[in-house]
Amino acid sequence: MKKSYLDYVLRVRVPITIFVILASFTLTYFASRAERDGVGYTPVQPINFSHKLHAGQMKIDCQYCHTGVEKSRHAMVPAVSTCMNCHTIARKDRPEIKKLTLYYERGIALPWKRVHRVPDFVYFNHSVHVDAGIDCSSCHGDVRNMDRIGQMNSFTMGACLDCHRNAHEKLPYLKNIKNGPDDCWACHR
Amino acid sequence: MSEVKDVINQEENQQKPDQNYWRSFAELHNDPAFVASTHNEFQPGVTDDFNPSGLSKVSRRKFLALVGASAALAGVGCADYRDKGEIIPYTKMPEDTIVGKPKYYASTFNSGSQSYGILIKTREGRPIKVDGNPDHPVTKGKVSAAGQASVLNLYDPDRLKNPLKKAKSGEFLKSTWQQVDTEIVNALNSLAGKNITIVTGSILSPTTKKVLDDFAAKYNGTKIYSYELFNEELRNSAWKKCYGTDSFPLIRWNKAKVIVALESDFLGTEGNKTENSILFTEGRNIHDTKNFNRLYVVEGNMSLTGMNADYRLKLRPDAQYDFVMSLIKEVSVRTGTNVPADLSGFSLDNFVKKFSLNRKKLQYLVNDLINNRGKAIVYAGRTLSEQTHIAVNLLNEILGNTNLYRTDSASFSNLPLSTQSEWESLVSDMNAGKVGIVIHFDSDPVFHLPADLGYSNALRKVPVIVSLTESANDSSSAGHYTLPINHTFEAWGDAKTRTGFYSLQQPVIAPIYNTREKEAVLLNWIGGAKSQFKDTLYHEYLMKNWETNIYPSLKSKLNFNEFWYGALEKGVVLVDETPESLGKFNDSALNDLSGPSQKLSGYAVVLRESYSLGDGRYANNGWLQELPHPVSKITWDNYAAISQKTAKSLGVDNNDKIEISIGKRKLEIPVFIQPGCADDTITIELGYGRSVVGAVGEGTGFNANVLMSKTFDLAPWLYTTISVKKGNGSYKLVSSQEHHVFDHSLTNNLLGERHIIKEGTLKEYLKNPQFIAEENAEEHVEQIYPPHKQWYNGVKWAMAIDLNKCVGCGECVVACVSENNIPVVGKDQVEVGRDMQWLRIDTYYSGSEDDPTVSTQPMLCQHCDNAPCENVCPVAATTHSKDGLNQMVYNRCVGTRYCLNNCPYKVRRFNFFNFRDHFRDGFQQSDLFDLVYNPEVTVRSRGVMEKCSFCIQRIAEERADAIRENRNVIGSNVHTACQDACSTSAIHFGDMNDKESEFYKYRNHELGYYVLDQLNVKPNVTYLAKLRNTHSEEA
Repeated sequence: MKKSYLDYVLRVRVPITIFVILASFTLTYFASRAERDGVGYTPVQPINFSHKLHAGQMKIDCQYCHTGVEKSRHAMVPAVSTCMNCHTIARKDRPEIKKLTLYYERGIALPWKRVHRVPDFVYFNHSVHVDAGIDCSSCHGDVRNMDRIGQMNSFTMGACLDCHRNAHEKLPYLKNIKNGPDDCWACHR
Repeated sequence: MSEVKDVINQEENQQKPDQNYWRSFAELHNDPAFVASTHNEFQPGVTDDFNPSGLSKVSRRKFLALVGASAALAGVGCADYRDKGEIIPYTKMPEDTIVGKPKYYASTFNSGSQSYGILIKTREGRPIKVDGNPDHPVTKGKVSAAGQASVLNLYDPDRLKNPLKKAKSGEFLKSTWQQVDTEIVNALNSLAGKNITIVTGSILSPTTKKVLDDFAAKYNGTKIYSYELFNEELRNSAWKKCYGTDSFPLIRWNKAKVIVALESDFLGTEGNKTENSILFTEGRNIHDTKNFNRLYVVEGNMSLTGMNADYRLKLRPDAQYDFVMSLIKEVSVRTGTNVPADLSGFSLDNFVKKFSLNRKKLQYLVNDLINNRGKAIVYAGRTLSEQTHIAVNLLNEILGNTNLYRTDSASFSNLPLSTQSEWESLVSDMNAGKVGIVIHFDSDPVFHLPADLGYSNALRKVPVIVSLTESANDSSSAGHYTLPINHTFEAWGDAKTRTGFYSLQQPVIAPIYNTREKEAVLLNWIGGAKSQFKDTLYHEYLMKNWETNIYPSLKSKLNFNEFWYGALEKGVVLVDETPESLGKFNDSALNDLSGPSQKLSGYAVVLRESYSLGDGRYANNGWLQELPHPVSKITWDNYAAISQKTAKSLGVDNNDKIEISIGKRKLEIPVFIQPGCADDTITIELGYGRSVVGAVGEGTGFNANVLMSKTFDLAPWLYTTISVKKGNGSYKLVSSQEHHVFDHSLTNNLLGERHIIKEGTLKEYLKNPQFIAEENAEEHVEQIYPPHKQWYNGVKWAMAIDLNKCVGCGECVVACVSENNIPVVGKDQVEVGRDMQWLRIDTYYSGSEDDPTVSTQPMLCQHCDNAPCENVCPVAATTHSKDGLNQMVYNRCVGTRYCLNNCPYKVRRFNFFNFRDHFRDGFQQSDLFDLVYNPEVTVRSRGVMEKCSFCIQRIAEERADAIRENRNVIGSNVHTACQDACSTSAIHFGDMNDKESEFYKYRNHELGYYVLDQLNVKPNVTYLAKLRNTHSEEA
């Protein structure tokens, strides 16, 4: 039987095309995984606030501003009035502080860009993690060295469960940590 | 009556008959249509809305192409695809705020003449739930269904947003406060001798009373009229004649061994029903079976109280007088007491014959009354005549039951209701042009007052009519100015309904709209033309009144400000007051007692308060409209309840209309054949059929107020000279009674006859405490799951429902709706069985068709260990947790509904629509509505299944608290919403592995049973069988 052009297409061209498409998709999928999960996302903020300066150099405790973190589901982004506790006196002449003062005095909403986000159907609770002794940096990375805050880890369900199921490996600094719950209603309800 | 005793003995010797439970006549008679419908979880026609030809003409291929193209475009176009929105913090943080943590404020909820202490739960400044205030001496941490649902009224999009003024065209146009204030103050100052009339409901607040007095002092010729559609005037006037004091005392329900309720729904609508049911069920404590009380109910229609009766007799309401007099005669003969009234002509024997009452039950009643002298109470309903009340007072007096009248506390009235003659002179003044201004002070007299009083016609003669109201009503639309007032949660106030304490009301949210407190509006007018309105006007007035008039009498050691903030936190202020003594029985009252009634035939109409809508003020509240009627389970409408025999004689069936005429007053209303209704008695609930109401209440029910008259012979709510005939056409009443029915015949085929509800009698229990447990020991079907006992070593959540305490009121249902963001679906959807409430109260009738016994059983997800829903879900959207919860994950659910099909309890609910969007053009989709949602619970969307979660959000809170406090989870720290709301504390929740807990006793009580135990699904909800306190072992 004579080999036709169609035969060539079906035997060689089509499989190769399919293989190339699949391979490139798979490669891109895995290579861009972290990127798609938002790792490395460091948006420009309305006020150029530096965690490195405040939390790193000046060693202000995370909870001075994020007051809800031990008590509530939400860590809470501090009210503008919290910034003004110091900045009514400190560095009043800097342009960023002037901007901040304007927000405060005029009562304008300060639209910080959201960096870390889990979907609405996830009822993540900061307090249960922090109260169990887990360090902020285990999820949020080394914030003390970030000039502009960015996302360091993946915040997907896979990432949550990875830690919930292997707490000892993931959090070696906590000797008595138990695995977290992996029931659906632990987070979704 | 020795023959009666023989009958009793004979029947006691007989074996306990097998009870046949039924939910409706259709089920009892095995109506083929009903039997067929139980095989399917949804009613026929439920998918009729799906119409392929009505779908978009775009083909699937084209649709996919478009989606692909738009996705690609979106990918290219949106450079910053990682944008996650914004976080906007407070600019200035309110003190002590932690985002994500609720705050509770003590306040007061007033409804009609009753007042409830409440705790308002707020999240980030918005009220989301109402619970009872445990410090309140009357309601003790519980609140009525209306109180819980009042939070929905706050966010009602139909509330008035601005002052309105009627234009020449008759339309109401938006105005400003400044303009209306100026115009009204001008009108008040230029009356030229004409009167000012203020029409109000009951005034429960002493400070509001003072504002009204100040107003009357400033503007001469002010008269204040108050009314209440349902009131205790006849009871009180009868009391005054008998004992000389003003108001009927409160009852020690908890001390009564025998309670005889005559046409009185004291557990449902009369008096403070929350308090009544708390006290009543103290005598239903399974840990104290020696002190069970016994409830006799003699009534015309099946009421909530009648459902809970140990013995129930049906009797037309106009015969109650003769009944009481015959009882007095019997008691006096049997005890040899001399009664100073003329009892000739009355005889219990003749009465029993005439109304073919059950002799045996009646004999028990008389014996119990005589044997429990001083420990029994006879209580007449408020719809009965004054004469009947006098007779009941006499009966209680001769039985020595007066020591069940409370002397530690009494009702307190700030302002007596206006009398009939006062109203008539008001109307004639209005007609004569003597009234210059009428102010409707948060009242709706046009809807409520009897039409033949002529109030609404007389209003036309009044030059200026001002209505202060939250939302438009019949009275405001008849007026010139409609002024919007604050919701209770936006307003300051106080209340005094009892001697011995005050309760305080504080705002928990700033006014959402351009509204003012109703008292502030008057205060501003008292200030005159130059008055500058301030938001704090009434707040300051209230504090001043307390500081000068109430605080000094308390002799508090604190200074006023300390006292005031302390009092606000607690919500109540106790004062040392002794109510006036009850007085001596005055024999001259007996002159009002007449001989036997002549008529007692033909039809009788009874008008009663609606269980959920009150006098109509909650008609625009979807939660209350959709709450099934506790007896008939009808939602969204009122109806005429009649007996089967009456229906036959009128030639009508369910839903057919009848025409009722009382003189010239006519009403057409559909009928519902209520099992247990006395013949020739027609019972209709008021509060429905408002002509001016919002989107929710529009077109619901029938206005039966039109039957009321200023001239009545027995009571304003009871008419006997009437004619009734079959009306034109029919009207579909929607009841959830036959929804979600257990597929009885299927289980029968598997395991033979098996009842879903179990109950017994107290005697049976005392003889053999294990009688329920013995019934439980049955064969179980083989379980398909591997044993998973090892899972449940830690906390395992479970519930126990004590049916001895459950009265079937439905308050838990409203609590669940409020806590869990359950949508209102509307009448059309309830009709096809799509009601979404996670918790329902099943009502079962048993015994004879003519005179049935009623049993109730709350039904919710049983969180079965061997859950049949879990193994049929193709996507594992419903799974089991290690602490024994059957979890439902909305995000995974693809909507196959297999789980519901396989659920033997039919407790799963499917979102056929986005119901928030579906209801009357997206009424609930309004931005304002979003504020009522509990932020800890997902708002479900179309196409997913949902069900009771045992309030997982509250469990999660306890888990977080346990971690924070470095301790184990404690089961008793978690209260489900239904448990908190249950006024009789019938619901218990906790950790079934905690052997020390109170809950453990209920969970493992010998009266406990599982519904459909033989299916071996191992439910985590235990029911404690109801014990009826009857004389024999049979029910």
